[in-house]
Amino acid sequence: MPTTTTVPGRTKHAKGILGDELHKKLGETKVLVVGAGGIGCELIKTLVLSGFINITLLDLDTIDLSNLNRQFLFRTTHLKKPKSLIAASVASTFNPLVHITPIQDNITDSDKYHVEWFRTFDLVLNALDNLEARKYVGRMCVAGGVGMVESGTAGYLGQVQPIVGGVTECFECVEKPKGGKTYPVCTIRSTPSLPIHSVVWSKSYLMGQLFGVDEDAGTELDEAEKQGENAEEIANLRKEAESFAQVRAAIRSKPTTTPAARMIFDKIFNTDIKRLLSMSDMWNHRAKPVPLDFDRIMQETEVGNGEKEKESVALKDQKKLTTKENLELFISSVSALSARLSPSSPSSSEEETKETVIEFDKDDPDTLDFVTATSNLRSLAYGIPQKSKWEVKEMAGNIIPAIATTNAIIAGLIVLQGVHLVAAKLGRSSAGSSASSSSNALTSTTTTNSDSSSYTALRNIHIQLKPSVPLSAITTSRPNPACGICRDVYTVVRCDPLRATLRDVVQGVLGPTPISEFTIFASAPSAPSATRILADPDWDDNLDRTLGSVNVRCGMFVNVVHEEGVWETISVGIGGLPPGEGWYGGNGSGSGSGSGSGSGSGNGNGNAEGEGEGIPWLMLPDPLPRLVVKKEEEKKGGTNTPPPPPPPVERASLKRGLDEEDDDIELLDGDDNNGADAHPPATKRRKTISNPPPSTPPKHQHPTRPVFSSPSKKRKLEEDGLVLMESAEEVLDDDLLDGRENGGGEGDVIVID
Amino acid sequence: MASGEFTEEEQGRYDRQIRLWGIEAQQRMRNATILVVRLRGTATETIKNIVLAGIGKLILVDADDVKEEDLGAGFFFRDDDVGKKRVDAAKARIENLNPLVTVETVPNFNVLNNQNFESTVNGVDLVCITEWDRDDLVRLNIICRRSRKPFYSGGTYGLLGYIFCDLLDHNYISPDRSSPKDVPKSIQMKVSYPSLQDALRHRWSLLSKRQTKELNPASVFAILALWRFQSIQKRLPIGAQDVGELQQIADALVSEADVNKQVITTVPHSLIESVTMTAVHEFSPVCAIVGGLLAQDILKTLAAREPPIANFLTFDGNTGGASVCKLSMS
Repeated sequence: MPTTTTVPGRTKHAKGILGDELHKKLGETKVLVVGAGGIGCELIKTLVLSGFINITLLDLDTIDLSNLNRQFLFRTTHLKKPKSLIAASVASTFNPLVHITPIQDNITDSDKYHVEWFRTFDLVLNALDNLEARKYVGRMCVAGGVGMVESGTAGYLGQVQPIVGGVTECFECVEKPKGGKTYPVCTIRSTPSLPIHSVVWSKSYLMGQLFGVDEDAGTELDEAEKQGENAEEIANLRKEAESFAQVRAAIRSKPTTTPAARMIFDKIFNTDIKRLLSMSDMWNHRAKPVPLDFDRIMQETEVGNGEKEKESVALKDQKKLTTKENLELFISSVSALSARLSPSSPSSSEEETKETVIEFDKDDPDTLDFVTATSNLRSLAYGIPQKSKWEVKEMAGNIIPAIATTNAIIAGLIVLQGVHLVAAKLGRSSAGSSASSSSNALTSTTTTNSDSSSYTALRNIHIQLKPSVPLSAITTSRPNPACGICRDVYTVVRCDPLRATLRDVVQGVLGPTPISEFTIFASAPSAPSATRILADPDWDDNLDRTLGSVNVRCGMFVNVVHEEGVWETISVGIGGLPPGEGWYGGNGSGSGSGSGSGSGSGNGNGNAEGEGEGIPWLMLPDPLPRLVVKKEEEKKGGTNTPPPPPPPVERASLKRGLDEEDDDIELLDGDDNNGADAHPPATKRRKTISNPPPSTPPKHQHPTRPVFSSPSKKRKLEEDGLVLMESAEEVLDDDLLDGRENGGGEGDVIVID
Repeated sequence: MASGEFTEEEQGRYDRQIRLWGIEAQQRMRNATILVVRLRGTATETIKNIVLAGIGKLILVDADDVKEEDLGAGFFFRDDDVGKKRVDAAKARIENLNPLVTVETVPNFNVLNNQNFESTVNGVDLVCITEWDRDDLVRLNIICRRSRKPFYSGGTYGLLGYIFCDLLDHNYISPDRSSPKDVPKSIQMKVSYPSLQDALRHRWSLLSKRQTKELNPASVFAILALWRFQSIQKRLPIGAQDVGELQQIADALVSEADVNKQVITTVPHSLIESVTMTAVHEFSPVCAIVGGLLAQDILKTLAAREPPIANFLTFDGNTGGASVCKLSMS
C-alpha cells in the first residue's frame, strides 16, 4: 500500500482519547461501509478522522440534487456521478493516510458479496436506506461472524444497533415492520375517501393500465372474489378493466390521435363512475361520486388560487391547481407520455429508442404530472380534498424527509459503537488510557463462542423526541432464541459446485453424524425464507448429485435441519475455491462415511497436487462446526410427530427474558408482516414493557408456509411495490424508526377487503 | 438575501428538509445571520450542518492558527494549512458546502470585547460560542441578553460534550404528533430561559431518584467541575496530578446542588480520571454528535418550530447517551 505522510500532530487528540494501542488497532481494522448516502457521507468523514484507515465503501447510487442538503461530500459538479467514487475521493482529502476502496454495486449480489467476501472485513458498518439490503448484510455478518453496526434515520429520528452474532440481538431477532400503509383493493378501485386513495389508484393502478405491461388485470379481482367480496362490484370492476384495451390502443396509435386524452378522461372519470353509480346499494351509506364533464371543465373560468395564497410563503409546486389546470395538466402529461411510448408494432428504427412501458417515478416529471392530475380529478369526482404536486410527489414517491444533523449524529454514534467492537477484540474498554493489558482476540469462525463480557460497552441508541433524553442508550439484548437467522450454526464450505456433491458437502460438515438424520434445504441469502428442499431422510436421490446439478451456486446456503429437532440448524455457505492452486482441506477427510469423498476423488484433475486424502475441489471448514443442542424449551414437542418437511426455523418458544433495564424504554412495535418472510416473528415487542407479559406466547401466524406458494399476481404486485395482505384486519404500522431514508423501494400495501 | 421566492435550485437542494420543517422554517433560516465563535471540532460540525441547511449568512470568528492536532477533527483543514489562520484556511471550504450561503470571517477576538461584542451581536440573529471557558461565557451571555439575542454554547472534553442555551423568551410551534397526518395540528408554546449565571445556581433538590438518575448527573457534574477547575486554574486539567483537585471540585458541586443522595454523592473516580486525562482532546465522532445536536437546535430556534434544548445538554461518549437538565428553569 502506498504510504502517504501527514503531520505527526494529526493523531494527537485521537491517541489521547483512545490510547496508542487501540488507536493503532483502528488503523489495522478492515472496515466495510455499505452506503454512501446521507449516513454514509457523514460516516466516512468521521471514520477517516477517528483513525480508521482501511475502508471499503460500497454504494449503487448516483448523486442527485436533492442529496445536496445533507450529503456534504457532494457538489453540484458531481451530479449523476457514482456516490461511492466521489465520496471516497473527497473523504480521502481529509486524511492523506487513508485508503478508501470505492465499489459501485448492489450489495445484495450474492455471486460477489458472499460470506467469504464479508469475512475479509473485521467490521461492517451499515448506512443503508432499504430493508432488503439491511437484512442481507445482517445475515452475511452473522453467517461470517463479522461484527457490525446497523443504523437508520428518518427526519429527526434515528437509531444505531451494534450486532455481534450470538452475543447481541441480530437485525432479524425482532421482526421489522414493512413500510407503507395498507389500503383495501376496493377502496382504491371504487370507494376512495382520502387523498392517498386517489394517489395510490393513479400511481399503482391507472399508470399500469395505460402505460404498463398489457396484462390480464383479473387475477387480483379473482382473489377479491375468493375472499367473498361483493360479486356485483367485482363484475363491474372487471368490465372496467376490460375496456382499457381501447384506450391503450389510442395512446399507442401513431401519430397519437388528439382525442386519446379525451378518450381516457371520458372512460375513467365519466363512464366508469357512472357504471359504479348504477350499483345503487353501494351508495346507501356513502357519498356518491359525480361523473366529470370534459367540456364543462374546459369552459371553466375559475380564477387560480395563486392570488389567494400570495401572502403565505409557498413553492411553485405547493400551489393547488384549479380543476381546469388539472385537466390541462392531464392532457399535456398524457400527450408527453404517449410520445415516449413505442407504437404497438414498431415500424421504423427510430422507434427503438422509445419505451414500451412507463412506470411511475417521482423524479420523472411526466409521470408525476400525470399522477397529480389524475389523482386530483378522481378526488374531485369523489369529493375528496385535492393535493398539490409537491404533496403528491411525497405521497406517491414515499419520500422520507432527511437532514444533515440527524445523519451526522447517527454516524458519530456508529463510529463510537464500532470503536467498542474493535476494543472488544482487544479485550479492553475503549475509553480512557488506562488500558488493561493486551488482546485475547475472539475467533470469528462461529457465532456462538463469543465471550459476551467483552461486549458490555455496546449500546443500542435512539434519537428520541423526549426532551429530557434526546439520545437514549440501552444495553444490547441477548439474541432471540427463536430467531431464524442468528441461531443457526454457520459455516462455509469452499468448493467447485460442478464437482462437489451434496453428500460431499453435507456429510463433510456433519463429520461422523449420519446425514440420514437431516433434511436439507437450499436458500439464497437475499431470501432465506424461500427455501427449496433438496433431500430428507426418506428421499436421498439428490445426495450424490453435484451442487450445480441441483441449482446450488456459490453464494447460496445449504441448510441442514435436524429431523428430530435436537440440533440447531447448520447453515453452510457455499463459497468458491480460492483462485490459483488447488487446496486440500486440512480436515477434508473428516467425513465419517467414506461415500462422500469416494464419489469424487477418482477423477480429480490438474489441480490435484499435494498431500492428504482431501478432494481438490472441496475445502471443508477447520474445525468442523459443532452441533449445538437446541435449548430444551425450544425443542419440538417430541419425537413422535416428525413434521415433514419443517421449515428450517420453526421454533416454539416465544418467551423472552426481560432486562431489568428495559423498564421505561420505548421499543419499536414489531409487526407481523403477512408471511412475506417465512421465519415467524420471534416476539412481538410492546411499547413500554413494564411487566412481563402473561405467559401465553403468541402463536405463529404462519408456521408452515408452503415453500412455493405465492400466486403469480401477488408476486407481480409485490414487484410493483405493492404488498397484498391476507386480510383487512392486518394493519402494517408505519414505523418512523425503520430507518428508510428514501422510501423508493418501499411500496404501498393493498389489502383485499 | 431577499425574502422572495425560492429558486428551482433552492427547491431542489432543500426538498428533503422542507418536507420535514416546512417552507416557512426554511425561509426563516434563509433570513438568519449566525455568529459562531472559535473553529474547532464542535464548530466545524455545527457550521457544516447549518450551512448545508441554508442559513443566510455565517460570521465566523477565530484568532488562532491551524495547529497540527486541529486536523484530527477539523475537516476544513489540510496538512498545508498548518500555521495559517483557521478562518482563512476554512473559508473557501465552508462556502463550497453551499454556494447559497454567505460566509464572513473575522481573524481576531477583538469583537468579543465588551463594547465590540454588543454591536456585533446587534447585527446577528443568533450567537453560538464553542469551546469557551465558563466565566467568559457568563459575560458574553449577559451581553446577548441585553441585546435580546438567543445564545448557544457548546463543546467537547474528550468523550464528554455539552450544549447550553439561553433563548430568553422563546415562542415556538410544537407539532402535535399524535394528530393524524392528514390534519396536522400544532400548539403554540412559550418558554422563558434563565441566564447562564442563574443556571449555574441550580439546585436539584426537587427531583426524585428516578428523575435524577435519568439526567445522568455524573456527566453533568464532571462538566461543571471542569468549568470550575478552569475558572480557578485558568487551564483545563492535563494529567494525573489534576485528578485529585477535579474530584474534589466535582464532589463539592454535587453537594452544593443538593443532588438526591440515593443516586450520587460523588462523581465516579474512574470518570474523573478519564476526564482529567482526555479533557483537552477532541474526537471526531463526539464532535459530530455534539455539533449535530447543536446545529439542529439552532435550526429549531431559528425556525421557531419544535421544542429546543432546555437548557443544558450533556453527552457521554462512553455510552452514547445524551440527557438534558433544566437548570434553574421550570
